Amino acid sequence: MSGRKLGLALIVAISLAFLLAWVFPIVWSILNSLKTERDILAYPPKLVFAPSLEAYRDVLFGSAAILPNLWSSFVISIGTTAITMLLAVPAAYALARLRVPGKKFAGFYILATQMLPPVGIIIPYFLILRNIGWIDTYQGIILIYLSFSLPFAIWLLVSYFEDIPFEMEEAAYLDGASRLRTLWRIIIPQARGGIAVTVVFVFLNAWNEFLFAVVLSGNTVRPVTIAMFNFVSVEQTLWAKLAAVSVLAMLPVIVLGIAAQRHIVKGLTVGAVKGGGRR
Amino acid sequence: MSMRGEVQFEKIVKMHGSFSALKGIDLKIDPGEFFALLGPSGSGKSTTLRILAGLDMPTSGRVFVDGEDVTAFDARDRDVAMVFQSYALYPHMTVFENIAFPLEMAKLRRSEIASAVREAARKVKIEHLLDRKPGQLSGGQQQRCALARAIVRKARLFLLDEPLSNLDAKLRLETRVELKKLQRSLGVTAVYVTHDQEEAMTLADRMAIFMEGEVKQIGRPADIFARPDSIDVAAFIGSPPMNLIPTRYSNGSVDLGDHRLRTAIQTPGEREVVVGFRPSAVRIASEGIPASVELIEDLGDSAVLDLVLAGHSVRARTGDRRVAEEGETVFVTVRPEDIHLFDAGSRKRL
Repeated sequence: MSGRKLGLALIVAISLAFLLAWVFPIVWSILNSLKTERDILAYPPKLVFAPSLEAYRDVLFGSAAILPNLWSSFVISIGTTAITMLLAVPAAYALARLRVPGKKFAGFYILATQMLPPVGIIIPYFLILRNIGWIDTYQGIILIYLSFSLPFAIWLLVSYFEDIPFEMEEAAYLDGASRLRTLWRIIIPQARGGIAVTVVFVFLNAWNEFLFAVVLSGNTVRPVTIAMFNFVSVEQTLWAKLAAVSVLAMLPVIVLGIAAQRHIVKGLTVGAVKGGGRR
Repeated sequence: MSMRGEVQFEKIVKMHGSFSALKGIDLKIDPGEFFALLGPSGSGKSTTLRILAGLDMPTSGRVFVDGEDVTAFDARDRDVAMVFQSYALYPHMTVFENIAFPLEMAKLRRSEIASAVREAARKVKIEHLLDRKPGQLSGGQQQRCALARAIVRKARLFLLDEPLSNLDAKLRLETRVELKKLQRSLGVTAVYVTHDQEEAMTLADRMAIFMEGEVKQIGRPADIFARPDSIDVAAFIGSPPMNLIPTRYSNGSVDLGDHRLRTAIQTPGEREVVVGFRPSAVRIASEGIPASVELIEDLGDSAVLDLVLAGHSVRARTGDRRVAEEGETVFVTVRPEDIHLFDAGSRKRL
């Protein structure tokens, strides 16, 4: 074997090791979600078993159904994404193109909000929401999520808008388009890759969020990430149901990830090369 | 043909911080004229065009189009069309949609748009490409698409910012001819920015020479070539450029080493001057001022001789390469009427 081939084999081996570490919990969840509680606790672990959809039936339609929680997660994620994009697109465009006071430092301030350790602001957020009566409400959680997703989305989008040549916009003005129409007809269609990436990131962040949800939600609005723990109690853990809920919660993430795969890889590179997003 | 598209610049100043990009431009462009803004890069010609388009605001001064002060008008309210150096086509739209965009913005009816787009595409010979995206076109086709988008609306001004500079040499020559024909057939005022003097000379009815934020000379290309106003313009126009030698003038002649060169200019007294003569005005003769031949550049149908004449580098252009050999000494003459004289102090033509 030549050195070149050996190197390649090494790279493949290391990649496989990482892949294994990553894929193990997912496979474990999927397998356990198809087992009965008895099969899960069997020792030695059963590799061959009779698959059962009982756990899924229970978590979807049983007494502790998590359908309302999935619904909560959807409402929160879609609401957060929609409002974020509605505000972030014009804001990022303005930062990329217009003469905005303080624009030079805006990139830093926007990033600074991302540097705060989330744990440090949970309690203030809780107090604020409690005082305005928004604990355990959709608007409360979405508002808090916006405080993270909006700066992130703006920061990501600015670099996409900056990549669009200025002359194209000027051509549109000379063709008789207003600024708003230019944004809508010329800029946004060309930034659609970046917009898709941002939508996916914002949606996934909201969907996966746990820390804030656990403090700010309640019995009315209870996203699936929290509801999952219904199956973990002091006396016992219902592994099959927990695994089934995990798989259900992962499903939209995986679907979205595969759908947007090409854009996401491109999006990560844009962030990497551009560094602060703006010079 | 309606006579619209008259442009007037009045004392246009443009500052970038403390740097003055334009130092008071006064310029009048007649309706239907093909007017070139010619100058080296950074001379302010593109800034002038952008101010006319409404893409840049002048720091002071006013712009009039057809007698109306448009200085404060937005680009989209000026009724001008522009071809950008990069073409600035909309990559997500087809050629048809690109050309249709200005008409759509003008809220024309769908049927009118379709026929106008086809008409414009026909004029620049891209009717067969209307369904393509700009990314699927060659550079020349993209350029035509940009032209079609500019002419489709029948704007009163047609602005072109180095439109040919991204084409290869052969295509550039072809497109140049077509551009001139197109402008004539449309009868529209064209303002054309270029750093290529050959383009300006061949295309323009009149041109303005820009240098360091000032207009140095305005006139018909042939007139500017024949009578440059200043040393700077003389040095810029012509290829190879005019020979310029600092020397002394007295009594109708100038000194060139030990020799005297007779001029057609009579002014009293002695003075420091810069004498200028074009390489094509240098004649190799059997007698005259001796010059040594340093290098011969053979251009096929002509040749450029690098000479040293009385200690100065001088270039001569000749139709026949065989008049001299490298290393040889030849005799040169220049006819008095081919000699330009500039004052050494003011740098102006005498």
